[in-house]
Amino acid sequence: MSDIATNGGAKPEAEELVEIEEILQHLEDISFVAHRDTKEALPAIRPFGATSARRWIETARDLFFHDRESGKSFMRHSARLAEHMQTVELWLEQAARFKEWVNSNYALEGFMAQADRVYDAWGEAGEREWAEIGLRWCARSLPDARAYFETDFEKLAGGRGIDGLRALIEPAETLFDERGLTLDAYLEGAPIARNLVGDQGLLSWARRGADLLKAGRSRGEAYFRLESDESLKLLLEALPGFRPRMHGRFLRLVLMAWLDADIPLADSSWKPGEGRPMLETDGRRLFMPAVMDSREEAIVATQHAAAHLAFDTYAHSEVERLFARAGAEHPPLDDKSRITWRPLFAPFEARMFRFQVLFDLAEDLRVNARLAPRIPNFLPRLVALAEVHGRPEGVAGVYFDFALKAHQALLRDEPQDPRLARVLEPDADVVTAWAVGEELFADEAFPEITIEDRAEAYLPGLSLNQSLPVYPQRKRDGSLADFRDHEAHDEHKFEHQKQEEQPQQAPEQAQKDPDADIQTPQQETSGTGGRIGTGIPQPAQVAKRAAPYTPKKDGIPYPEWDYREQRYISDWVNLYERVLDDEDPERAATILSENADTLKRLTRGLEMQRPMRLAPLRKQLDGDELDTEAVIDYIADKKAGLSPKAFIYRRRAVQHRDTAVLMLADMSTSIMARHPGGQGKIVDRVREGMMLFAEAIEKVGDPYAISGFASKQRDQVNYYWLKDFNEDLNDTVRARIAGVSGRLASRMGAGIRHSLEAFRRSSAQRRLLLILSDGRPADYDDGGDQRYLHEDTRMAMKEAVDAGVHPFCITLDPSGSEYLPAIFGPGHYTIIDHVDELPRRLPEIYLRLRQ
Amino acid sequence: MKNLINRIRGVERDVIEKPGDAGGAPFYKPQGDEIEIFQAAYSKRLPVMLKGPTGCGKTRFLEHVAHTLGQPLVTVSCHEDLTSSDLVGRFLLEGEETVWQDGPLTRSVKEGAICYLDEIVEARTDTTVVIHPLTDHRRQLPLDKKSQIIDAHEDFMLVISYNPGYQTVLKDLKPSTKQRFVGIHFDYPAEDVEREIVAKESGGLDADRVEKLVAAGRKARALKDHGLEEATSTRALAYAGELMQAGLSPRVACRAAMIAPITDDPELIQALEEIFDAHFPESEAA
Ligand SMILES: Nc1ncnc2c1ncn2[C@@H]1O[C@H](COP(=O)(O)OP(=O)(O)O)[C@@H](O)[C@H]1O
Ligand SMILES: [Mg+2]
Repeated sequence: MSDIATNGGAKPEAEELVEIEEILQHLEDISFVAHRDTKEALPAIRPFGATSARRWIETARDLFFHDRESGKSFMRHSARLAEHMQTVELWLEQAARFKEWVNSNYALEGFMAQADRVYDAWGEAGEREWAEIGLRWCARSLPDARAYFETDFEKLAGGRGIDGLRALIEPAETLFDERGLTLDAYLEGAPIARNLVGDQGLLSWARRGADLLKAGRSRGEAYFRLESDESLKLLLEALPGFRPRMHGRFLRLVLMAWLDADIPLADSSWKPGEGRPMLETDGRRLFMPAVMDSREEAIVATQHAAAHLAFDTYAHSEVERLFARAGAEHPPLDDKSRITWRPLFAPFEARMFRFQVLFDLAEDLRVNARLAPRIPNFLPRLVALAEVHGRPEGVAGVYFDFALKAHQALLRDEPQDPRLARVLEPDADVVTAWAVGEELFADEAFPEITIEDRAEAYLPGLSLNQSLPVYPQRKRDGSLADFRDHEAHDEHKFEHQKQEEQPQQAPEQAQKDPDADIQTPQQETSGTGGRIGTGIPQPAQVAKRAAPYTPKKDGIPYPEWDYREQRYISDWVNLYERVLDDEDPERAATILSENADTLKRLTRGLEMQRPMRLAPLRKQLDGDELDTEAVIDYIADKKAGLSPKAFIYRRRAVQHRDTAVLMLADMSTSIMARHPGGQGKIVDRVREGMMLFAEAIEKVGDPYAISGFASKQRDQVNYYWLKDFNEDLNDTVRARIAGVSGRLASRMGAGIRHSLEAFRRSSAQRRLLLILSDGRPADYDDGGDQRYLHEDTRMAMKEAVDAGVHPFCITLDPSGSEYLPAIFGPGHYTIIDHVDELPRRLPEIYLRLRQ
Repeated sequence: MKNLINRIRGVERDVIEKPGDAGGAPFYKPQGDEIEIFQAAYSKRLPVMLKGPTGCGKTRFLEHVAHTLGQPLVTVSCHEDLTSSDLVGRFLLEGEETVWQDGPLTRSVKEGAICYLDEIVEARTDTTVVIHPLTDHRRQLPLDKKSQIIDAHEDFMLVISYNPGYQTVLKDLKPSTKQRFVGIHFDYPAEDVEREIVAKESGGLDADRVEKLVAAGRKARALKDHGLEEATSTRALAYAGELMQAGLSPRVACRAAMIAPITDDPELIQALEEIFDAHFPESEAA
C-alpha cells in the first residue's frame, strides 16, 4: 500500500487488475462482509476502467479499515452511484475524504445515499459544492455534518438549487464560528423560516436562536423547532397580511356594534407553514390566527364565527338532536366540559372530509343568511373577497365554486340550488344543514377530497366549523347578549385555562392539522381516545422528540424593548410577586445594634429635614402674595358698602407625605460575592443599607417601600416585597430585610416596570425610584448580548419618567460609569466605591434627592 | 346654517329670549309623555330636572315647551369654573362707582322666565347651593352680597339638566338636591321617531339615507362604554344629515359629524367607520 497507489497514479491495466485481486484477497482474510459487499459492487465499477476500479477498491478497503460502518456504507451504495452518475472518480474521491475523521460514518452514509440524486439534479458542479459544504461541516462537527447529509438536499435547497442551499447554510456557518450554533439544531426550522423571512432574515432569526441555545438547550431547540414564542414572533413579523391579534380591540368593537356581543378573542395555535390560517371557536372565544390574508377577511371571519354562535351551530340542544338523529348518544363531555362531534363524522369513514366540507358549506350558508340582514355589507364583502380570491386549483375548486355560487345567489336574490334552499328557510337549524350535507354527500359530482385540500375548499373568512371541541352553548336564537353580560367577565379565567392546556398539547399536533394524525376513521369512536375530525388535544399522545419548551405565563406579563427590532415585544416577560421567606430576626437585631451610632446621627440630621411642600391655597386671610381675583371681589364689595373679610392672599402651605420612595434592590447572585476593598460580602452591606434606609425614612415620614428582584430568563422574574407602601416597619419587615440573599440574574427592566405599577397605587406627587445595583443588567437568556438588557433598562427608565417617577441608580459596580450614563442619564446615578459606606450613604442619598 | 354653526360652537344663550311670534315653536318630536309632565309641573311651578344623555333633545324640548307656554327662556351652560356669582350677580367697578349686575338666574327670578341650568353637575358645588331656596316652597333667591332676598316672580321656573353616567360618581348630584325636582327621563328616541327628527332637522334628506343614517347611528351607540364616553347622539345624526344635504358624501359626513368629534382612539374610529361604511357603500359616496 504505497502512497502512490493510494493517491491513484495510473498503472498498466494488468498491474491494476492484479492489485484489485490482491485487495480482494486481503479483504476476504479479514472480513466476510467486506469481501462479499466489495465483490458485489465491483462489476458495476469495472466498466469505468481498471484504474478506477483499483482506486475504488482501495478506497473501500481504506474506509473499511478506518471504520467498518463507513466501509459498508461505501460498498453498499457504490453500484447505484456508478450507474446513476456514470462516473466513479468524483464521488469516490469525496467519500475517501471522510477518512479524515473518526466517527464520520453516519455523515458518509448520508452522503452516499444522496450523491447520485444531487448529481442528477444539479450536475457535477452542484454536486461538488454540495459535498464540499458537507465536508466542511465534518471538519467543524460530525453530528452537524450528519444532519447536513441526512437532510434531503431538496429541502435544503428550497426549490432554488444550489444557490438556495448555499443561502440556507451560510448563516449556520457564520453562527457556528460566532456562537457555536449547531447545524443540527438549525436545520430543524431553518428551511421553513427561510420561506418566511427570506435569505436576508435568516441570519438574525438564527442568531437569536443561537443565543437562546446558549442560555438553555431545551429552550433553544424549541426555538429552532418553531415551537417557542420567540421564534414564532420573529417569523410572524415577516409574514405579509393582516394581524388580527394586533387589532383585537377593533374586531371586538365591530362585533359589539353589530351583534351587541362582547366575544373574547384568543390566539389560535396556528403556525406559519401549517397551511391556510383559519379562525376557530370553542363556543366561548374566537381563536384568531396570527396572520390572515387581509383585514377584510379578518372582519368577515369574526362576523361569520359570531354568526355560528348567535344562530346556534353549537347549541347543546341541537347537538343532542344531531346525535339522536344518528341514533347515538353523544360522548361524555371532556374534562373541560367540552363536547366533540367526532362520533357523528365517524360513519362517513374514509370520506369523512368530503362530508365535513359539504356539511360546513350548508351550515355556513345558513348562518350567513341569518346574519346578512343585520350587517348590510357582510354578504357583499364575503362574495367580493371570494371573487378576488378566485377558484382554487384541483378538487377544492368544485366545493369553492359551489359555495361561492350559493352566496352570490343569496346576495343577488337569485334562485338557489334546491338542496341548499332548505337551509334558507326561517326554521332551518343545524340539523337541517346536516341533512342537506348528507344529501349533497350523495351527489357524486363532488369529488373525493383529502385533508390536504380541505382547507382550500372554504371561502375566505369561512373555516372548519368543528375543528375544536366546543363548550355546548345555550340556545341563543340570534341574541348574543349573554356574551356581553357574563362570558366576557370570565375572560381572564378562560385565558388561564387555555394556558393550562398548552403543555398538554403534543408539539406534533400543535403543528399540524388537527386531523392529520387520523389513520382510519373507523378507529375508536368513543370520544375519549385519539382525535377524529374534531381534534381534541390528547395528553396521551406525547412528543416524539424532546418535551416542548413552554415558557411560563401565569405571572404578570410585561413588555420588553428589543433594540434589534426597535420595538416592544408585548407580554415578553413573566413576573411573579414572591414572598421572601428567609426571615432572620436575629440578624436584624444585630444589624440594628451594630449601626446604632450611625442611626442616631442620621436621626438628628433628619429632624431638621421634615418634608415640606408648598402648595398655593387661595383666598386666605394671610399669606405670601395677593390673590388677584379675591382682591377684586374684595374691593368691589367694599366699595359697595359691604364689609367683606380680607380673604385676599395666596399662601404656600406645608404638606406632608408628598414624596414616595421605592427602593428596588438587585438581588442577583453577584451580591453574595465579597466586594474588593470591603469587609464581608456585598449582601451584608445591602442588608444594613436597607435597614438604615427604612429606619431613616420612618423618621422622615415619607411613604416608602422596599423590594428586590431576581430573574431566571424572561419568563421567570421574581419580585420580592420586603416592605410594601402600606406596610408598617415592624419586626417582620426588619427580619425580612435581614434575610435578604442573592439568587439568579438581574433583569432590571422588568423590575422597574413592576415598581412603576406599585407607584400607581401611591398618590404622592413626587415619586422616587431608587435602584440599588451591583452590576450590569443581565440574564441567562441574553446570549451574551449585553446591549439587549441595557437598552431595555434604558427604555424602562423612560417609561418611569413618563409615569412621573424619578429613577436614580446607586451602584456598587466600579465600572458603572461605562454604562450607567447611557441607561440612566448623567446625574441620575451614583457609584459607591467603598461598599462599607453603603449603609450610611443610602439614607443620605435619598435625603439629598428628595430636596 | 348659521344656527347650525352656533350650535356647534355651543354659543351660550343666557339672554332672555322672548318667544318669537314668527315661525311658531321650534320643532320637537315628543318621545313620550314628557310634554304633559312638564306642563303639569309648570302649572305648579315645580322645578324640573331633565335627565338623559347629551344630544337627545333636552334643550330642544325645553325651547319647544317654553315657546308653547309663551315663556321666556334663559339658558346657562354650566362649566367647572362657574361660580355662584356668575349665576347670581356681582359688583362691578365703574369709575369710582360700584355697580351691581344681576346674573342670569337673578334676572330670570325677577322677570319670571324659565331658567335652564344645563349640565348642572359640571358647576362647582357651592353654586348648586344657591338654587336650594328656589326649589322649595319659598321660591326665594338670597343675594348675600346685597343682603337681599328676592321672591321669585310667579312665572319663574327652574329647570336643570343632568346627564347620569356622564360625570364621575364624585360629581353626582347630592340626593338632597335631586329630590327637590320633578324628573323627566329622556333617552335617544325610538328608531322611527329618530328618523323623523333627522329628516326634519336635515332639511329634507331623502328617506333612504335617513333610514341608513339612523340605523348606523343606533349600531354605533352600542360602542358606548367601550371607549366611547358619549354615544352617537340624535344631534350628531341630525348634523350628519345636514352635512349630506349640504353636499358632502355620506361617508365624509358621518366621519365629520359622528366620528371625529367624539373620539381620537384609532381602533374606535375604525370600528365606527366600519359601521357607517357598511350602511353607505362606496358606490353611493358621490
Ligand atoms: N325629540 C326631538 N325633536 C326634535 N329634534 C330633536 C329631538 N331630539 C333631538 N333632536 C335634535 O338633536 C339636537 C340636539 O338636541 P339637544 O336638545 O341640544 O340635546 P341635549 O340638550 O339633550 O344635549 C337638536 O338640536 C335637534 O336637532
Ligand atoms: Mg363556518
